[in-house]
Amino acid sequence: MTRRNDEHLKKVERALTEAHRSRQEPSLGPDWAFRLMRDIQREAVGQGQAMIGLGLDRLVWRTATVAAVVALVFTGSVLFYTNRDAVELTALLSNEVDVMVPLSE
Amino acid sequence: MSTGGVMTNTLEVLGIQPPMTDEAFIGLKGEPDDGDILQRIRRGEIDRNADLISRYQRHVIRIVSRRVPTDRAEEITHDVFVRAYVGLAQFSGSVSFEHWLAGIAVRTCYDFWRGRKREELPVSALTNDHQQWIEQTLAAQSEEQFHNQVRRHEAIEVLEWALGQLSPENRAVLTLVHLDGHSVREAAQLLGWSLVNVKVRAHRARHILRTLLLERRRQEDDTTQ
Repeated sequence: MTRRNDEHLKKVERALTEAHRSRQEPSLGPDWAFRLMRDIQREAVGQGQAMIGLGLDRLVWRTATVAAVVALVFTGSVLFYTNRDAVELTALLSNEVDVMVPLSE
Repeated sequence: MSTGGVMTNTLEVLGIQPPMTDEAFIGLKGEPDDGDILQRIRRGEIDRNADLISRYQRHVIRIVSRRVPTDRAEEITHDVFVRAYVGLAQFSGSVSFEHWLAGIAVRTCYDFWRGRKREELPVSALTNDHQQWIEQTLAAQSEEQFHNQVRRHEAIEVLEWALGQLSPENRAVLTLVHLDGHSVREAAQLLGWSLVNVKVRAHRARHILRTLLLERRRQEDDTTQ
């Protein structure tokens, strides 16, 4: 790039930059703010519903987890106590058998 | 002590933030500051958005109108405020609300160009009037002549033509750094990009712009000869 070209480019760039900075801002329509507030209120309602939805989801999952844990504990306890009863019953029956051994021996 | 004072003290003891009185909200200057308005919006006073909108609408439209076509500026400004409301929870207060909003405006404009398909872009070519504008700008001897050239509508049209040749990323960076005059760091903050990415793109975008302008000049010289 020649020095002349570089100077030309800088001049055009400066002109474009100044043109960019002096752009006129368009004015907003008379009902622009009203429409914006209406949309923001809609978003707020949507967010509220999403929060409720999120809350319900959490509640369902937490309840499901607690229910699963309770069911597990209950099943475990039932199995444990059922086995223990069976052992005790066997022991009791075996004792009874022992008791029934004739005293004469 | 008034009943309000007793209630406030009781709430403070209980660790509950007392409700803000209107006097405290408005403050001494007669205008509530951004923090107070934001606090109220977060508590559910949606209508307080109107205060922020009236305060910052000119700030946002100024940013937006320099980046998108004039007929879309109103719509994009609308989107900026809706996005700001939706993302309010992410505003930490580490920067001013004005700066945070400027970032949303810049990114919304960037998304606008990203969302437009290439074929939707107007294939603008430089006309004789534009070529003439470049020539007259180069020939301008005084500052007054130069500024008269800047004020002509061809200036914006040439700029739009040049920006239209760039990718949305390069366009966003070139506008921020070279046209608006932001530092690379500021541009990176506004776009939410890394410093290196912005630095590389700023250099590349300017190089592309210069190549484009130089090519136009060469073509013109060839035509003249």
